[in-house]
Amino acid sequence: MSNWKLINKTYLYDGSFYGFLTIVFDSYLTKTLPQKICKKNTYLSNFLDTTIEIETNLEKAQRILNGIEKNIGSDTLYNTYYAFLSNEKNKEFNILKYLCNGFIVGPKINHNLTTSYVFKVVSMRKKTLSECHKLKGLLRFQELSNNLSYASIHPDNNILEPLGHHFIKRFASMNFVICDKNRDICFVYNTKEYKIIHSQNICIPNISEDEKKYQELWKLFFKTIFISERNNPRCQMQFMPKKYWQDLIEKP
Amino acid sequence: MFDFFVFCDIISTNVWFVVKKMDIIDKLKILADSAKYDASCSSSGSSRKNKNRGIGNGNVSGICHSWSNDGRCISLLKILFSNCCIYDCKYCINRCTNTVRRATFTPREVADLTINFYKRNYIEGLFLSSAVIKSPNYTMELLIRTISILRNEYHFNGYIHCKTIPGCSKELIDPLGKLVDRMSVNIELPSHNSLKLLAPQKEKDGILTPMTYISNGIKQNKLDKSKFKIDFVPAGQTTQLIIGATPESDLKILKLSEGLYQKLNLKRVYYSAYISINNDKNLPTLKSPPLLRENRLYQADWLLRFYGFKADELLDDSHPNFNNILDPKCDWALRHIEQFPIEINTADYLTLLRIPGIGVISAKKIIRARRSFYLDFDSLKKLGVVLKRAKYFITCKGKYFDKICKFNESFIETNLIYQERNNLKQPQFEQLSIFDSLQPTKEDKIKCLTGSL
Repeated sequence: MSNWKLINKTYLYDGSFYGFLTIVFDSYLTKTLPQKICKKNTYLSNFLDTTIEIETNLEKAQRILNGIEKNIGSDTLYNTYYAFLSNEKNKEFNILKYLCNGFIVGPKINHNLTTSYVFKVVSMRKKTLSECHKLKGLLRFQELSNNLSYASIHPDNNILEPLGHHFIKRFASMNFVICDKNRDICFVYNTKEYKIIHSQNICIPNISEDEKKYQELWKLFFKTIFISERNNPRCQMQFMPKKYWQDLIEKP
Repeated sequence: MFDFFVFCDIISTNVWFVVKKMDIIDKLKILADSAKYDASCSSSGSSRKNKNRGIGNGNVSGICHSWSNDGRCISLLKILFSNCCIYDCKYCINRCTNTVRRATFTPREVADLTINFYKRNYIEGLFLSSAVIKSPNYTMELLIRTISILRNEYHFNGYIHCKTIPGCSKELIDPLGKLVDRMSVNIELPSHNSLKLLAPQKEKDGILTPMTYISNGIKQNKLDKSKFKIDFVPAGQTTQLIIGATPESDLKILKLSEGLYQKLNLKRVYYSAYISINNDKNLPTLKSPPLLRENRLYQADWLLRFYGFKADELLDDSHPNFNNILDPKCDWALRHIEQFPIEINTADYLTLLRIPGIGVISAKKIIRARRSFYLDFDSLKKLGVVLKRAKYFITCKGKYFDKICKFNESFIETNLIYQERNNLKQPQFEQLSIFDSLQPTKEDKIKCLTGSL
C-alpha cells in the first residue's frame, strides 16, 4: 500500500454501510486514500477541506462485499461490519486502510495485530460485540395493551440490527419493537419480517394490566436474591454500568 | 393433581397442616430467599433451537440479565419449588427444625412465572431446586411435572437447570434429563465425615449414585448417532461445595474437584463461602463469609480446567492452603522459579499458559501474532496483553524487561507483593513507642522554626 497516493480531499457519504463500501470501491480502483471520511449530515464545512460527495452505489458495494468474502475471508467481513457499527471517531478511515491492505495481503491481514489500524478495527469489533452481548441481557420488554412488546435502549454503538436478530431467533412468534433512543431508530418485527424505521413514525400505547404485576414480582425477586453478607456494589457496577440503569425495571 | 394449599410445619413436630391460600408474591419472596445460597447461575452450554414457533432458545455462551447488589449475576429465575423439608442438615436455612415461613409452589405457578419473566427478557431460563417434601421420589415427580408443563405445553425452549434430589431413584432421572439442559446434585460437604456430622440424613451414596448415573447417561447420549435422538442433559452436570463450614484443607477440596472433573466429566464445581445462618454446636461461627478463600478456589479451579494444571502441582502437604496475597498461579510460579523466564517467541501454548498474568485469550493472541513477526514488549502491549505480572516471568527476543535488575526470585516476589498491597486490608494499629509523650507539639515546631527553642 506504500505506493498509494494520499489526496487532500474529504469524502462525504450518507452514513450507510453500503455507502461506505462504495468509498472502498472508489479508493481501491484509483489507488488513493482520502484525508478524511465524514457523514453528510454531521459534517461541519471547513474552508480548508475540499469535499467530494460519494453517491451510494449498490452495485459497487455488492462487488466489494463479494470481494471481501472471496479474497480476504468471511472473518474480515465480520470484523468490518461490526467495526462499522461502532461509534468510534475516525472508524471509516481505519476500516478503509484495513480493507485496502487486506485486498493486497489476503486473509493474513488478521494476524497483523501490531499494525495500528488492524488492531483498532479488531478492538472496535470487540467493543461493539461486547455491548451487543451485554444488552441481550439488560434489555427489558414491556407488554403493551395491544399485545406488543416494547423495549427502549440507550447503547453507545449502533447495535440495533444484530440485537434485533437475536430476539427474532428467540421470540419468533412475538410482535416486538426495540427503540434506540440515542439514534432515534426502531427495530420493528411482526412475526414475519423486520424493518428499521425512524422513531417519529411510531406511537406507543399504554402498558397492559398484567405488566404492572410482573414488574412488581421481578423487583421483588431482584431484592430477595441479594445476600447482604456479600454486599459488593463495586462489582455490580463493573458488570452493569450505570449508563444502562435508566432502561432497567429493577433500579439497583 | 397437586393441590393449591400451602403446608406449614409446626416447629420440631413434623405435623403438616393447611393454613391458608398464599398469594404468588409471598411464595416468590419465601422461595427465592431460600434458593439464593445456591451459587450456580450459569446459562451456558445449550444450543437448543426455537422449535415450532415456540418461545425462547438457548445461547451457547450464556447471557447474564442482571447483577444483584452482591455483584452476583442473575441469569436464571432461581427458586425452590418448596421449602418444606423433612431433612435436618445443620448448615441449611430450610432444615425442618428451623422456624422459617414455609411455602410450596404449584407446577402451574412456576411455569407461568417463568414464561412471563422470560417474555420480558428478565431471565434466561429457570433454575429449579427443592427441599425434600415427603420423600425424594415424590419431590422429583413434582419437579418433572413442572418442567414438562413448560416444555410440552408452553413449548418453552429456554434454559432449564434442575436439581436432582439426593436419594431419588434412577427411573426418575431419565425423564427429567430429557427435558432439562443442565442437572446438578449438590455434594455440599467435601468429605464423608463432615457429611455424617452436619447432614446426618444424607448418604454419600445417595449423592454419588445419581451423579454417576447422569454422567453415564450423557456419555451414552453422545455416542448415539441417531437423527431423532432426544438430547440428555446437553449442558452437562454441575455440583456445589460449601467452603469454610468444615475443617477440610484447600488441597482436599481441590483434589475432590479434580476427581469430579476427570471421572464424572462435570462441567463445573461451584464453591460457596459458608454464611452463618444457623447456630449449632457442630458449626463454626464466622463473622463474614470466607470470600477470599472462595475466590482462590475458583482461580485454582480455572487452572485445572483450562490451563492444564494438576491439583498436586498447585498445593502439596507442606502447603495445604492457598496464599492470601498471591493468586495460585503466581504462587506456583514462585515455587518453580527454575522453569522461568520463558521466551515468548518460542514457547508452546501450554507453556505460555503457565506464565502468571497470561490467560487463554492472551496466549492465543501471542501464538497468532508471532506467525508474522517477532514479538517484543511494545508489541505485546499493543496486542492487549496485560504485562503487570507477566513481565517478571518472560523474555522477548532473549531480553528481560528490566535492564538493571536481573531475573531472580526475591526481586520478583517483592515486586509482586508490592503490587498487590492495595488489595490487602491493612490492620488498623500502630507501633507503640516509649517516646510517644515526647513527640514535638505544634508549638515546638513553630519555636524550632523561629529559633527560640
